[in-house]
Amino acid sequence: MATNTPNASSLAEVLDRILDKGMVIDVWARISVVGIEILTVEARVVVASVDTFIHYAQQISMIEQASQTGELEDMQNLETGVGPIEPRAIEVEES
Amino acid sequence: MSDNLYAYGVTPDDGSLAVDATGVDGSEDVSTVSHGPLAAVVSPVDDMDPERTDENVRAHDDVLRAVMVDAERTVVPMQFGMVFKGKRPLKNILRTGRPTFSRSLNDIDGTYELGVKLVAEEGATVDREAVAERVDERLAPVSVGTVENDLFSDRLVVNSSYLVERDEREAFDEAIDDIDEAYDALTLQYTGPWAPYNFVDVAIEAK
Repeated sequence: MATNTPNASSLAEVLDRILDKGMVIDVWARISVVGIEILTVEARVVVASVDTFIHYAQQISMIEQASQTGELEDMQNLETGVGPIEPRAIEVEES
Repeated sequence: MSDNLYAYGVTPDDGSLAVDATGVDGSEDVSTVSHGPLAAVVSPVDDMDPERTDENVRAHDDVLRAVMVDAERTVVPMQFGMVFKGKRPLKNILRTGRPTFSRSLNDIDGTYELGVKLVAEEGATVDREAVAERVDERLAPVSVGTVENDLFSDRLVVNSSYLVERDEREAFDEAIDDIDEAYDALTLQYTGPWAPYNFVDVAIEAK
């Protein structure tokens, strides 16, 4: 039976690990509900940028800002990818 | 009450997971959110950016340790502060990041991290290279990975993290005994078990 067993760790040891190490997920990826494209990066090297993501990130950012400040008119500037719904005459056939 | 979820780490979804630990911001409600073969360990929080208080930092680590040691699960640890805006974004990440999480879990399957430091007394003369070499020779056969951390003080002779299989733990403890006995002039600091923080170096970027 070994006499040494690992000790409960000091706060410094905990801090050293959980603030600098472990998996990091970008804030936009953590708030987005749309089908975003994510970029996995090994060894914390930024390889390339994803245009699609930038587009979504900007939209999300604007939604966030608008919802936080209550200035929902900001939302008018959003490109949502869905055009305004054209008013259409509804024809009702009487039978 | 917001829908925000603080995420501690990702583990294989092997059915229900009971975690007996207090989470960040004092939450007693640590649970999991699953998608496919993966489950994220979470607890509800109000703030998207929780305070880095000593309690919160400890809570993050305590929850991961409970998952790893009590529930005997392999876990990919998150860095502190990974809060998701509800279940949907989290499931989104579990889905799109699945290859990454699965590969990481595979790399660290059945293991945890143990920390080994050897500290010299003030003014002591130590053949640092020889000690470091001998320590690694003794610990390498009973571990599956090692990371040398920064020697931030002149008195620090060894500062390494070892990835150790749960089943090899007794053998690793015995190797630590040998090292402790071999160096009277050095103080041993043996810590853990930790989630494998030093063996998961992945970021999910959004640039």
